[in-house]
Amino acid sequence: MTSIINPPASAATATRPASPKRRGKQRTWPFVLILLGPAAALIALFIVAPAIYSFYLSFTNTQLTGFAARDPKFVGFQNYVYLLTNADFLSSLGQTGQFVLYSAIIGQTVLGMVAAILLSRPWLRGKGIFGAAVLMPMVVPEVVASLTWASVLSNNSSGTLNQLTSLFGGAPTDWLQVVPLASVIIVNIWRGVAFAMIMFQAALEEVPAELIEAARIDGAKALQVFRYVTLPLIRGPVFLYLLLTTISTVGVFGLVYFLTQGGPGGQTRIAAIYIYERALQFSQIGIGSAASIILLIIVLVLGLSYVRLSKVEV
Amino acid sequence: MKRTRVIAAVVATLVVAGGLTACSASSGSSSTDGSNGPVTITILEQKQTRIDDLKKLIPGFESAMKKQGKSIKVKLIEDVLTDDQFKTKITQQFISGQAPDIVDMGENMIPGFAAAGYLAPLGSYLDKWSGWDHYLPQFRKAMVRQDGKIYSLMHDTGVSNFFYRKDILTQSGISTAQPATWKDLIARLVEIKDKTGEPPLVVPAGSAWGGGTWTEGFQPILSGTDPKYYNVKSGKWDLKSPGWLATFNLYSELVTKGLLPVQDLENPNPWEPTKYDKFPAGKLQVSAQGTWGWKYDWGPQGQSPIADLYQKVDTWQYPALKSGDKPYGWSSLGFGYTIPEKSQRKDAAMLFAEYLTTGVPLAEQLQSAGAASPRDDLTNVKPFSEEPKLLQATKDLKTSVYVATGDGSDQISQAVASATELILSGKASGAEAYKSFVKNATDLLGPDLVK
Repeated sequence: MTSIINPPASAATATRPASPKRRGKQRTWPFVLILLGPAAALIALFIVAPAIYSFYLSFTNTQLTGFAARDPKFVGFQNYVYLLTNADFLSSLGQTGQFVLYSAIIGQTVLGMVAAILLSRPWLRGKGIFGAAVLMPMVVPEVVASLTWASVLSNNSSGTLNQLTSLFGGAPTDWLQVVPLASVIIVNIWRGVAFAMIMFQAALEEVPAELIEAARIDGAKALQVFRYVTLPLIRGPVFLYLLLTTISTVGVFGLVYFLTQGGPGGQTRIAAIYIYERALQFSQIGIGSAASIILLIIVLVLGLSYVRLSKVEV
Repeated sequence: MKRTRVIAAVVATLVVAGGLTACSASSGSSSTDGSNGPVTITILEQKQTRIDDLKKLIPGFESAMKKQGKSIKVKLIEDVLTDDQFKTKITQQFISGQAPDIVDMGENMIPGFAAAGYLAPLGSYLDKWSGWDHYLPQFRKAMVRQDGKIYSLMHDTGVSNFFYRKDILTQSGISTAQPATWKDLIARLVEIKDKTGEPPLVVPAGSAWGGGTWTEGFQPILSGTDPKYYNVKSGKWDLKSPGWLATFNLYSELVTKGLLPVQDLENPNPWEPTKYDKFPAGKLQVSAQGTWGWKYDWGPQGQSPIADLYQKVDTWQYPALKSGDKPYGWSSLGFGYTIPEKSQRKDAAMLFAEYLTTGVPLAEQLQSAGAASPRDDLTNVKPFSEEPKLLQATKDLKTSVYVATGDGSDQISQAVASATELILSGKASGAEAYKSFVKNATDLLGPDLVK
């Protein structure tokens, strides 16, 4: 055993030549720059810079029309105070919360897990067709998906859902008017379940078969195996999926806009629709930017909570 | 090193010289009307009827210019959009300097764009144009904005009234005489509802109707009873003016009595179930509607044609809301041609705008859109002269009510939409909706625009 006394760091750097490891690092820098540079530049240009500009705008009364458009002024936290005391904005946050909870966290996650478990069963026949059917909504463009569901939920008797309910004597119903939020939640579940299935399927394949086998030998039933063996082992991917789906669902705009435009009576005015209305329809870029920043903070808090809960490496 | 510096100096000199040449070229040839060489202008149109008209009119303009020794080509940009979509899109184009040379837009958008500096003042062109003298005096006055300048050349207008199904009311034994007051009209609407079981009236309300809730629904009622809610000279909105509360109370009464089709008004495209489905089918009998209803909505080539329209449909003026008021029609500046401030071809663009608002070209547009004429010299010009309803509307313009507004109309429109939505959803009475409106409007307008 040899004891080594380390010299002070400054002395080491001053006297010793760079270690082979450090020289290696220095040599790889240009390579790393070439690989990451273009992506980093694009992110800086199209994400970081607009985000910083949006942050700046949120402290101004910038408008796109009217005399105020010529001379925007710094207004401090006025936009934030306005939004946090505005019933419409708070209501839109509540609707966003419901939309995320029911469609992404509960709907997509549960159904995605069920689909992944079913596809991992050796006895299941027609896995290809089943997988393709679940995947189809993900590959369909958003506009096409919206128009398809607009047709399914159409208020006249030729609407697909109304045709189905008429078989049981039901009268034609305007589903997007009567149950608007539930309708858009179902559509979003339909669209997002495939991504959940793919992630969970990959995670389930990593679970050692011996552990499941051992639990079964010990007398555990299927639900107990899932609850006490499988789920703890795939906790990381599950929380990672929850993180991703929460972020993407908070930002959903097109699907809801094409189906209901935030109506009726603001019942599906989720935060993204509210921001669009404020910033672009009513030309109040300052207020729209402040609303975006508030939403960004909420998503960041949620994201950090997921990461802490799961200890997912991101 | 020296050689590099010499090359740099030469390049810099060439760049500066090129820039100066370009500047002198552009300032030297100040005319962009096609007399100094070919010019191609672009025009943006959002309504299908007007797109069809322009396709027919553009060749005539090009050949008329050719006869004058001007080489002007027109490129039509067709973009059929709703008003809200159009506004969103054109705003971005104005800001980026990519807007077409002529933009046809509704009066509700013009004050906001003009105030922001996106539109070019047209006064210097109009002063030299003989056609300007034929515009009706009230419109020449109303087109002058808060800063004393004119930014649009209106080409059509109309008179808003209540269109009603004469055939159905007559069959049901309900009076079709002009209701003198809202009390009379409501009594008649209740009578219709008792017989049909369905809400009989559509007046734009709520958020889904977009800007129409203000311009086609609320403003005509408010202006008929209280024209002092906006002061053009000071540019301020008087939110305490009594007409606001009276109008919100009226909306509340209509909803409470089940006279408005609330569910249809909350539809993303509320004009479809009401004006395009139920009114033509006779299931909704009274509709707040402008002159364009005769052609654009229910005419033979319209969105939802009604056979024998003139036999089945007639109009009432807006009834009086408070004692002392009289029934009236409501008019506005309709649609107008505007030229972006950043356009490089303003002269040629203005020539085209003048062509489109003169004689036969204007008569053809008015006939197909179903609009009244803002000019006094169109009554004998075919095909407009063959349309009795449109001629009548043009006559009615002289007695109709119009209140010019300015900067802030977007924000007022938004606050009215939100407040009427509260009424539709049953969350607020008229007084509560008014209170909410005042708070919202004050926040949105800011202190400079509120009296």
